[in-house]
Amino acid sequence: MMHAMEILDPVGSTQAMSRALAPRPASLQGGVIGVLDNSKPNARVLLEGVARALAARVGARDVRVWRKPGASIGASAPVLDEIAAHCEAVLTASAD
Amino acid sequence: VPHPIGGVAEETVARKAASVVDDVLAALTRGGGGAAAAAGPAEPEASPHQAPDDLLDFQGFMMERGWGDGLPMIPATPERVASLLAGTRRPPGDLVAVLPPRLGRATVERVAVNAVLAGALPEHLPVIVAAVEAVGQPAFNLQAVQTTTHPCSPLVIVNGPLAARLGVNGGGNALGQGHRANAVIGRALRLVLQNVGGARPGREDRATQGHPGKYSYCVAENEAASPWEPLSVERGFSRETSTVTVCASESPHNINDHGSATPEGILTTVAGTAATVGSNNIYLGGEPLVVLGPEHAATVAGGGWSKADFKRALWERARVPLSRFDPSNVERFAVIHPAGFRDRPADTLVPIAREWSDIMVVVAGGAGKHSVFIPTFGATRSVTQRIEE
Repeated sequence: MMHAMEILDPVGSTQAMSRALAPRPASLQGGVIGVLDNSKPNARVLLEGVARALAARVGARDVRVWRKPGASIGASAPVLDEIAAHCEAVLTASAD
Repeated sequence: VPHPIGGVAEETVARKAASVVDDVLAALTRGGGGAAAAAGPAEPEASPHQAPDDLLDFQGFMMERGWGDGLPMIPATPERVASLLAGTRRPPGDLVAVLPPRLGRATVERVAVNAVLAGALPEHLPVIVAAVEAVGQPAFNLQAVQTTTHPCSPLVIVNGPLAARLGVNGGGNALGQGHRANAVIGRALRLVLQNVGGARPGREDRATQGHPGKYSYCVAENEAASPWEPLSVERGFSRETSTVTVCASESPHNINDHGSATPEGILTTVAGTAATVGSNNIYLGGEPLVVLGPEHAATVAGGGWSKADFKRALWERARVPLSRFDPSNVERFAVIHPAGFRDRPADTLVPIAREWSDIMVVVAGGAGKHSVFIPTFGATRSVTQRIEE
């Protein structure tokens, strides 16, 4: 029979907030699809490839691309605001 | 999208892009918008756990929950944690740092829990707390250090009188095993990063291989055997102040030089070892670290060279001809570091750091004709923090 002992938690609480996903647009027709390139090799090829195919499929008006200065550096708040102001949807990714 | 994306033909990437268009469209238009939980704190402060008191069963209990590093752990009972907390004047609830990627709240108590697991004693706690505070500084870029594919881990360099009092080894086998303080301080920091920071190996911690220093990576500078000012003094602290410096470090690579009797000779060997193509520092910048053995340091200083003289000379000498890089990498590096790689002639010599002063030099080790070179992550700066005793 197992004897138990009390131990304290090594993980603890987090400051991360759970967030709701943004409401999904009913349609992307006539909209702008954004791309945030993480600057890794071929990231733009992949993301812009998906964005252009999507734009053609749904009749989007434009594809616009932003680029992070480096994969290990987060996008600045002004860049995120600019993307939010111009785009109906945005694609980004984290990988090599 | 399945790996790899980089290093493959654009047509291959284009095919991968085409294969996911349907999924992306579905996620963008029919994904669970608004379906996630309402915004708010994700979880309350954790309560204690009931764990098996048999040590082997306890080890299994910890590993099943992803809280271990594989090696045996000391159970963090309330009594052991309370006794460890006596090692610091800081209240248990004090927030030391918020650690990404989980944004875990590293309170003094939570650090102490992991320190007990790592085998630490109360007197080690102030060093561990200072190291946690240091990695939490924005300049360290912990989010990237924790989640990168690059093999790096914070090396904790201890300076000042506390190093000797705690027995943090900076002499023979300084970066190796056999000294409790080195082992438990480095291990406690790793467990904090993994558990509180949420960098679980193979999950958020995306290291392609990692390296053995991820178990524990802590060293004292051998100030007594160094001919120069210690790292802490370079960073503006007095010799009497004890500090930790953290730098996101690769594993050590040996620099064997049994022959040189002059600064130029040692420089030639260190430069020849440090100037390599596949280094993060060469295109991302950051601070590569040279750990000089005391005998090499004595040879360099014996020629009248200051530490700054050695750094300047190393920066001038340790260069990689542009022709040794593959053109595809030159093209990529030119975007990241235009001044170093864009439209440069093939005989350009690329330095191992952006500035001579970015090269870090400490003295550690015992008798012998060896030094080590430790490249770092690149997109990070080392941080030196005073230890509050």
